[in-house]
Amino acid sequence: MNTAPNMITFLSRQTVTAATPMILAGVGELVGELSGVINIGIEGSMLMGCIAAYTVTGVTGHGTAGLLAAMVTGMVMAVIFAAATVWGRADQIVAGTAMDLLGVGLSGMIWMMYQNWRENLGFSTALPHGSGFSPLAIPLLRDIPFVGPAFFEQYLLCYLTICLCVGVWWMLNHTRLGLIIQALGDAPEACHAAGVRVRLGRSMCLLFAGTCAGAAGAYLSIMQTHAFAADMTGGEGFVVLALVIFGRWKLPGLVGGCLFFGLINSLQQTLQTARYTSQNSVLHALTHVPFQFFQMLPYLAAIAALAVMSRNSPGPRYINIPWPSAKT
Amino acid sequence: MATLPPALRLSEIQKSFNGVPALDGVSLEVAAGSVHGILGENGAGKTTLMNIIAGLLRPDSGSMEIMGNAAPVGSVRESRAFGIGMVHQHFKLADNQSVLDNIVLAVSKSLWSRRGRGVLQNIDYWCRELNWTLELQKPVRELGVGQQQRVEIIKALCGGGKILILDEPTAALTPAEVDELSSAVAGLANAGMTVLFISHKLQEVTRMCRVISILRRGKLVYSGGVAGLSMQQIAEKMVGAKVDVPRLVQPLGHAESRVLLELQSVDYRIGKREPPLLSQINLRVHAGEILGIAGVDGNGQSELAAVISGTVDPVAGRIMRSGAARADAPANSACIPEDRHKEALVPALPIVSNLLLRKYRHRPYVRWGFCRFGKWRTSAAALMRQYDIRSRGIDDAVCTLSGGNQQKVVLARELSDAPEWILAVNPTRGLDVGATAFVLRQLLDARARGAGIILIHGDLDELLSVSDRVAVMRGGKLLATPWPQFTRELIGRMMLAGA
Repeated sequence: MNTAPNMITFLSRQTVTAATPMILAGVGELVGELSGVINIGIEGSMLMGCIAAYTVTGVTGHGTAGLLAAMVTGMVMAVIFAAATVWGRADQIVAGTAMDLLGVGLSGMIWMMYQNWRENLGFSTALPHGSGFSPLAIPLLRDIPFVGPAFFEQYLLCYLTICLCVGVWWMLNHTRLGLIIQALGDAPEACHAAGVRVRLGRSMCLLFAGTCAGAAGAYLSIMQTHAFAADMTGGEGFVVLALVIFGRWKLPGLVGGCLFFGLINSLQQTLQTARYTSQNSVLHALTHVPFQFFQMLPYLAAIAALAVMSRNSPGPRYINIPWPSAKT
Repeated sequence: MATLPPALRLSEIQKSFNGVPALDGVSLEVAAGSVHGILGENGAGKTTLMNIIAGLLRPDSGSMEIMGNAAPVGSVRESRAFGIGMVHQHFKLADNQSVLDNIVLAVSKSLWSRRGRGVLQNIDYWCRELNWTLELQKPVRELGVGQQQRVEIIKALCGGGKILILDEPTAALTPAEVDELSSAVAGLANAGMTVLFISHKLQEVTRMCRVISILRRGKLVYSGGVAGLSMQQIAEKMVGAKVDVPRLVQPLGHAESRVLLELQSVDYRIGKREPPLLSQINLRVHAGEILGIAGVDGNGQSELAAVISGTVDPVAGRIMRSGAARADAPANSACIPEDRHKEALVPALPIVSNLLLRKYRHRPYVRWGFCRFGKWRTSAAALMRQYDIRSRGIDDAVCTLSGGNQQKVVLARELSDAPEWILAVNPTRGLDVGATAFVLRQLLDARARGAGIILIHGDLDELLSVSDRVAVMRGGKLLATPWPQFTRELIGRMMLAGA
């Protein structure tokens, strides 16, 4: 850890690892917002994804089953949210807050029940050996300096996320489906006149977003950590909301924002460890700083970046306006 | 020709909103290859009927036949498959997307293909047919209203439209654009299209259509040829009563009475380096006269209105209001702004609040700092009767009213306290025959009472019929016209000279 190249390799790899779940949840949230629905409850959906993936993997011993369960759970959360906002015309901010609280509470409750149940049966609550995912290195490509370990020694879901990003970017910019999704949030009456069913379209976008959030939750619990803890998303769902604005509702901007957040996050983790091991007196002096301060840094950076970058951001015009909208 | 089935046949279409009938058993036949005018006042049900034909609304009962085949109602896709294309009054375009993307969005069937060659060829074909050029890559928001309308028409045609519905297509167009549109409509009819032309402007409809149908309060009251009907007869059928367009009998030339409003060498510009929007404006409004100001839109009329009402300050010159140089319009003046929704009304508030906007904090509407809603309501109810505002009650949000009734709310608020002078900007824009007559009559009543009125108006015929004197705005300058020889032709020339 004392040579600079090692350090860069380590940091870049950590950055991608930390950014992946946010990119995944962010792509979904972006599509949802473009269609005119903001879901501020993705934190809740991610947490439900975490617990679903963890418990199903724990019971079945198959990580893939856990991942699928997380995606289905995210979809179920999206169905509830879509029913309330798209079909029931509920305010999206209020309904989203409710979805967040639901996710936090329900995932914690399921976690306690799961622990009791497993312990009564005499099982461990830890994941069965080998059931969680491990990083999947791609031969040859992993040997590229710096970039190799960052992008080619990751979990399978990270590769899928990269493919998803490319696919969604292409879809948004080069297909009629992309036009429809953007028009849903910007000019739903144009969609309606074109024979596109606005509420159905928005519901589909929300289902996609929910699936993504669920998968992002699975990434946190059965890939990155192999553990579950209450509130383990730590506000990442909300940071994703900010990063969508930061990226001005464009996919490349969103991905860049997520990587930036991931970089700050891995920097603060490195700093936390380095202050104890380093001989450098300045770094060593940081041992007196509480660790929470370091944990706060990425969020501070997110707020600062948002304040600087998001002036006059032109978001979709029909966010939080239910269809059919009252005239004038 | 006689054997050809009608392009469109509607039978017994019935539709009501929240229990209020909007269409009451409308049956209608439209011959193939014709330009068919649909006339009616605001709120007569024209747009509702067209939305039903286009599949955007589902009627409560009734059926539709297209080219002799029974067509399902209430589905945009089905209507389009049967060849219905609709151009809405308020365009349904995605502003941020390009012209081509808007057309692809509406026309293509595939979810994936975005650059379909078929679409491009189709656009090209219709553009050549109509002799139009479209900048396909430009975002729609950068186009003018006339161009946006062309995008809508091309969109409808490319979607396989055989029956084209144009809903109030001329409402936002300049006279030159109206002429171009009417030649395009004639061209479409020659190419075998059937065009349904909806309007409340009689002159246009009688010029463009040979067959008209007239709706009144949800009922079809006339359907047949235009020939042999006078304007007066058509207007009566629309309104259901005799209409006389108010006209000033004895215009005053040079009023001797008190000067109520005077502008002395007023200049206005936005930035120091910008060209002036108003330069050297001198005008006087006397008690008991209507000063009409004509001009092509965008020659400084909006700025003049803003300066007079006191919403902006002139950079030079003096404004004397009611004989005093003061910055704001005094309480005894009235302003009927250009944009009802943005400047005159709070659309989401109920009628009662909108009527009391100017005096809610004066006695007797408030006492000890508390609103006296009872007084509000009795006062508002009286105004609604007096000005014939039609709604279900004074608690309805203003945005649920028709355009004519919204304007009546504005008039009731502004004119009920006998203001000394009145500024009115395009007060009849978008109103039907009956409501227009009502508004002009109110202005003439105010004049008879001794108010001084400055009327900035885009409709030259109406302007000439009620004004004592007329001036023309051109390029930010105010040009006086000789009195009393101001004729339509002379003023038209002055409006356009050198432009």
